[in-house]
Amino acid sequence: MAELALENITYVYGERTPFEIKALDDVSLTVREGSVTGIIGHTGSGKSTLVQLLNGLERPTSGRVLLDGKDIWEKPKEIKKIRFRVGLVMQYPEYQLFEETIRADIAFGPKNMGLSEEEINHRVKEATEFVGLDPILLDKSPFDLSGGQKRRAAIAGVMAMRPEILVLDEPAAGLDPRGRDIILKGIRDYGKKTGSTVIIVSHSMEDMATYCDDIIVMSHGKVYLSGTRDEVFAHAGKLTEVGLDVPQITRLALLLEERGIPLPHGIYTVDAALDALRSLFR
Amino acid sequence: MKNIALGQYYPAESPIHRLDARMKVILAILYIVCTFLCKNVLCFAALACSSILLILISRIPLRTVLRAIRPIIFIMLFTAVINLFFTKGEVLLFSWWKLQIYREGIYSAVFMVVRIIVLILGTSLFLTYTTTPIALTDAIESLLSPLRIFHAPIHEFAMMMTIALRFIPTLSEETSKIMNAQKARGVDFSEGGLIRRAKSLVPILIPLFVSSFRRADELATAMECRCYRGGKGRTKMTIPRLHVRDFVALFLMVAFGAGIVLLNRYGYGYTM
Repeated sequence: MAELALENITYVYGERTPFEIKALDDVSLTVREGSVTGIIGHTGSGKSTLVQLLNGLERPTSGRVLLDGKDIWEKPKEIKKIRFRVGLVMQYPEYQLFEETIRADIAFGPKNMGLSEEEINHRVKEATEFVGLDPILLDKSPFDLSGGQKRRAAIAGVMAMRPEILVLDEPAAGLDPRGRDIILKGIRDYGKKTGSTVIIVSHSMEDMATYCDDIIVMSHGKVYLSGTRDEVFAHAGKLTEVGLDVPQITRLALLLEERGIPLPHGIYTVDAALDALRSLFR
Repeated sequence: MKNIALGQYYPAESPIHRLDARMKVILAILYIVCTFLCKNVLCFAALACSSILLILISRIPLRTVLRAIRPIIFIMLFTAVINLFFTKGEVLLFSWWKLQIYREGIYSAVFMVVRIIVLILGTSLFLTYTTTPIALTDAIESLLSPLRIFHAPIHEFAMMMTIALRFIPTLSEETSKIMNAQKARGVDFSEGGLIRRAKSLVPILIPLFVSSFRRADELATAMECRCYRGGKGRTKMTIPRLHVRDFVALFLMVAFGAGIVLLNRYGYGYTM
């Protein structure tokens, strides 16, 4: 297992041109080993840039990305190895499917790793289970699948490489509520079962509250807040300052509390709220 | 792949920028004709001076202008060498084995290089650097419109060009996204021999084709939803008008061409 940390990362687009933009400004953070960490922030807060630094797709303008305490850019020629250890699922990954069958596409990553046929088959099967994809679909062409199924296949393609750190940029964007839940639950399962660290980028507070242990809030290229879920959501006021909010159900619980109804802290899901309210009426 | 400038349009306030795009197309063509009218030293000197003058008027930094020449340096050198060694003349300056350099060869090599530089500078200064791609397609549509009599699909052609230009940045962004996604799955584009590299393009090209077709389909639907029915009866949001300055520019260009023709008569030395 591996620990991931960023140290004084700054990233500038189009340096020394009229279009210069500072996407990340002196970002330092540590991702807890084996946790599910959410990175949240508005469009343009630098979160998508951040994830591309984690597996060495982009090189920081200054600062270091540390994997197990070692700079990933120490040997630039071996950056490919880093990409197998830190798996990245980009936004709308279904557009990257290209093989004739879903099975071949999921196997593409493991094949590039040079694994044996047997191991590849095993991993494809395992990844398919994680994302909840029907095995019948494995021999179909990507074009015969629905949007949600394609998304799951694409995520499985990265999971099959069994990365120690799995990074996903908006894995549930544009899906219906059921599809969102299946995918996010599958991702969390992957992290818990393999002991890998999972990093999810999103702008949905609801998803973050339900599936993440730790949360990092980004704003204007800087880390605005970070900590465990409870720590971050305790700062409801600070979140609204940057145009974010605690989940609606948490807000409701807080409002009820203000009106003198004694609810426990840390209610992030409708189910939790239901339990708390039920116990009050008992 | 970030921030690639579409074309080379350089935004600035200059008399050339202000000219009507249609007039600039005509001026560029006339200027090309001028470069081919040149026959002797005087003419080429005048031509070079006119190019320098154009750069100054256009207010585009010299470095940006020179960037236009960089891609053709090889062709330039090649032409120069061919002309240098293969032009036969009267005064032999240098001879070694089968290689012979005549004075005329030197002249003709220099002339060709000046001609190529001026050709590129002229077209870039009148067209790509000072005219936005959209204005340029509009101008081409308008200049070709007489061909409608022969049922040539001018409007459709212009619309295709506009759409193509519009999608260059989109597709380049898409390409870099897909490349990153496949790199994350372990594709290495800089590794292995030719065949392996070509093979590593497959995971890029297929998704790119698929998404291009999807985009084309979506765009066509969106255009139909907005009742696009081709060029017939379509009006323009900005109607270009020719101003006095456009005619002044045309006059100057014609005068320059006439000057070149006159200089051809009074030339001395080597004549092409």
